Amino acid sequence: MLEYVVRRGLYGVLVVALVTVFVFLTLRLIPGDVVRLQLADAPGVGPEQIARRAAQLGLDQPLLTQLWVFVTDALRGDFGTSFQSGEPVTAIIAERLPTTLQLGVMALVVSVVLGVPLGLLSAVRQNSWLDQGLRAVSVAGLSIPNFWLGLLLVTYLALWFSWSPPLVYRTPAEDLGSNLVHMALPAFALGVAGMAAIARMLRSSLLEVMRSPFIRTVRAKGAPEHTVLVTHAVRNSLVPVFSLIGLQVGHILGGTVILESIFAIPGMGMLIFESVQLRDYPVVLGCVVVYGAVFILVNLVVDVLYGVIDPRIRYA
Amino acid sequence: MSEVTASVPLPARRPAGGRRAMRLLRRQPLGVVAGVVVVLLVVAAALAPVIAPFDPTTQHREDFLQIPGGPFLMGTDDLGRDIFSRVLYGARTSLLVAVCTLAVGGVLGVAIGVVSGYFAGGWLDTLLQRVMDTLMAIPGIVLLLFVAALLGPSIRNTVIALSLLVVPSFNRVARGEMLRIREELYVESARAAGCGTWRILRRHGLPNLLAPILVVTSLMFAIVIIAESALSFLGIGTPPPTPSWGAMLSDGSRYMEIAPWMVVFPGGALTVAVLAFNLLGDALRDVFDPKQSR
Amino acid sequence: MSSPAVSPVPDHAPATGGLLEVTDLVKHFPITRGLLRRTVGHVRAVDGVSFRIAPGETVGLVGESGSGKSTVARLVLRLLEPTSGSIRFDGREIAGLSARDLVPLRRRMSIVFQDPVSSFDPRMTVCSVITEPLEAQGISSGRAARRRAGELLELVGLSAGDLDRYPHQFSGGQAQRIGIARALATDPRLLVCDEAVSALDVSVQAQVLNLLRSLQGELGLSYLFIAHDLNVVRYVSDRVCVMYLGRIVEQGPADQLLADPRHPYTQSLAAAIAADPRSPVRRRRGVVRGETPSPSEPPPGCHFHPRCPHAFDPCASVVPASVAAGPGRTASCHLVGEARGA
Repeated sequence: MLEYVVRRGLYGVLVVALVTVFVFLTLRLIPGDVVRLQLADAPGVGPEQIARRAAQLGLDQPLLTQLWVFVTDALRGDFGTSFQSGEPVTAIIAERLPTTLQLGVMALVVSVVLGVPLGLLSAVRQNSWLDQGLRAVSVAGLSIPNFWLGLLLVTYLALWFSWSPPLVYRTPAEDLGSNLVHMALPAFALGVAGMAAIARMLRSSLLEVMRSPFIRTVRAKGAPEHTVLVTHAVRNSLVPVFSLIGLQVGHILGGTVILESIFAIPGMGMLIFESVQLRDYPVVLGCVVVYGAVFILVNLVVDVLYGVIDPRIRYA
Repeated sequence: MSEVTASVPLPARRPAGGRRAMRLLRRQPLGVVAGVVVVLLVVAAALAPVIAPFDPTTQHREDFLQIPGGPFLMGTDDLGRDIFSRVLYGARTSLLVAVCTLAVGGVLGVAIGVVSGYFAGGWLDTLLQRVMDTLMAIPGIVLLLFVAALLGPSIRNTVIALSLLVVPSFNRVARGEMLRIREELYVESARAAGCGTWRILRRHGLPNLLAPILVVTSLMFAIVIIAESALSFLGIGTPPPTPSWGAMLSDGSRYMEIAPWMVVFPGGALTVAVLAFNLLGDALRDVFDPKQSR
Repeated sequence: MSSPAVSPVPDHAPATGGLLEVTDLVKHFPITRGLLRRTVGHVRAVDGVSFRIAPGETVGLVGESGSGKSTVARLVLRLLEPTSGSIRFDGREIAGLSARDLVPLRRRMSIVFQDPVSSFDPRMTVCSVITEPLEAQGISSGRAARRRAGELLELVGLSAGDLDRYPHQFSGGQAQRIGIARALATDPRLLVCDEAVSALDVSVQAQVLNLLRSLQGELGLSYLFIAHDLNVVRYVSDRVCVMYLGRIVEQGPADQLLADPRHPYTQSLAAAIAADPRSPVRRRRGVVRGETPSPSEPPPGCHFHPRCPHAFDPCASVVPASVAAGPGRTASCHLVGEARGA
């Protein structure tokens, strides 16, 4: 078990390192000279200025040297400074990351809190009109693009209830109420796909558990149906649902980019979107590495906990 | 040798494969409906120039932000362009991008998965799978944003970015299937018959992979269509004035309180398309489920 | 090995005209564990096996499941890499040949599997199944291959009209005939039958066995016939090798070996079929006690000693050598050595 965690952890580090190298090299190999792009607008820029700026940014060094400098600095927590603002990338990300994590966690909560009851209801009332309706909702939920859902929610809440989200984003520390209200819609729009996936998975897994021989044994012992369902079936059927969560985290992280830009939430998503457009390489690089690291870390935790929940899994 | 001479081969007895598929499809009414919707989408996209009442880029200046109805079935946008025509042409863009992406990314992903699965545990497998893990560790939109923005907005670059997104999924399915096929007795039998690796992969690997790959392809269609819209929505996908659902949503988001139809129709078309491909994929999965088919 | 009276059989007994000569063949599968996949042990699937097959001869290889007989089949066909030992086919060493050099060999030896249908790609018609070896080895293709496939089908008692059907549309016996047709496609000299009739009903078994015998007469084939069923082996084999946990414990002419088995393990097998030769439940081997031990941790000395009714002192520590036990016969048992020594 410990060996498994260590091995997975080491592998996760390796993948983060590969992500770093991949993004770093892609950024450098892509056409579009940063310095020229940065200084192109300024009038009267000569070649010396371009060269000076490039030297300043370390872009005149050989590629591998740049990579080595970047990696060693990154290991110390230094991702360089933003081309745009000149601030340290680590500080910028540290400021933005909590907002995105908050949105992600809220979306995950939406997925689980709505998905689990829907799945249970669907399975318990198998083939009833309620089940059919819920299944239709699930398929629709899986297919509806989260940004369209977000737009629709804003539009119709405004049209029908004359309600619109706060115009200015407030951090939880400034104004918790305003913050939560602001985050509620994007979190819901982000969480719907997860909700649908969880409901579907839970329904089929619960139905499968209910048909399994061990449930028949429990019933044969004369346990009341309620006990059978709650203490035996549901617990076992939640195991595969759990493994879905790791997958959902990827979708949610990706979704934050677009929803943050719709709802004007200053998180990582907005940061990377802006930085990509401005070709602020250090920030882009830092963001992608952090996204990758978060994703890998969550999946590691999910896999390890998966083994705790389901003792049949052997870490060979 | 025995004295068998010209033994006249009887007419080929084809198995009732088509009929069996039809019967299985009949058990999947939702899947059939989804299939019909997909066909309609393809027809609409192909015949957009014939069906569309207006040119999708013509600006009817005096008729901007018209509500749906009259000559403008789905209303007009802020520049007076007919939304119905733009939705039809948008289907064209979406399907074109999706088909190209799945051709590029699907072929690449399947090739990587098949080779990797056949040589599972070897250095080539290890190398390829590390690359795939790397691609998968970056959330989809982040990867797309990154690649598409660096390459600049164009349909070709969107296809490149989206291909990177789908390669790992195809790889995963193809590799998993290949791991299973590799252990099949018929592969050992083929080796005993003198088949080389390449021949085994081509004659036994690929054909036996097709069913699961078809399922993934359908599900990936859904994902690619959403992703293309998301990119266009962010302004780094299909460049204007080419009509695309994502860009239409982006335009509409500025007018959603006064002209919600600008958001409702392209988004609806997007959702229906995604839904159809998802349902079709689910139905195909059920049909090809080995537990059911044999 | 211990008694000077025991005379080991020379490794290369009259070395004339053997089609297949297997000497000291060993296959160990590593057991790996842990972070670095270090090897913690070996499954000794085949542990020093020697036998030979003359042209036109049928050698039966009999043993329980897990005795390593199927591994021997795969080693002989070079579907598995031997750990050590020699395999000579038609006088040529094939144990170290590269995949490229193996191709011409594949033409001259082929295999019939236990479960024909799963040994055929489910997407292939009978025609493709039979012509695959021809096309893979560049012998023929297209119409010529198809004509050949039709001939082969007729040869094994089916009709050329069946070429476009799928193997799973046939009964077990018919499917096995297709498997034989495929194996014969390249005009091989050696056919390895790995439990080729074990999955068939008894009456169908007899038909397929008779087909194999008549094909042998017609085409001059040699067979390595592998089965767990001594009765079946007795019916087709000229000579029989009895395998137990990776080793051949006794070999000799089929009729003599069964009439007068020397090794206690063979005795128990022979007793079991003698008790009721036609009973379908022949697998119950009354005399032998206990379970077959795991090949990853075989008992020391004679592998059979924990189950042997006659086990005595040296059996648990000394590996019995293969000693002559009559004309053309060998056995690996301390008792056989003792008997001769006394």
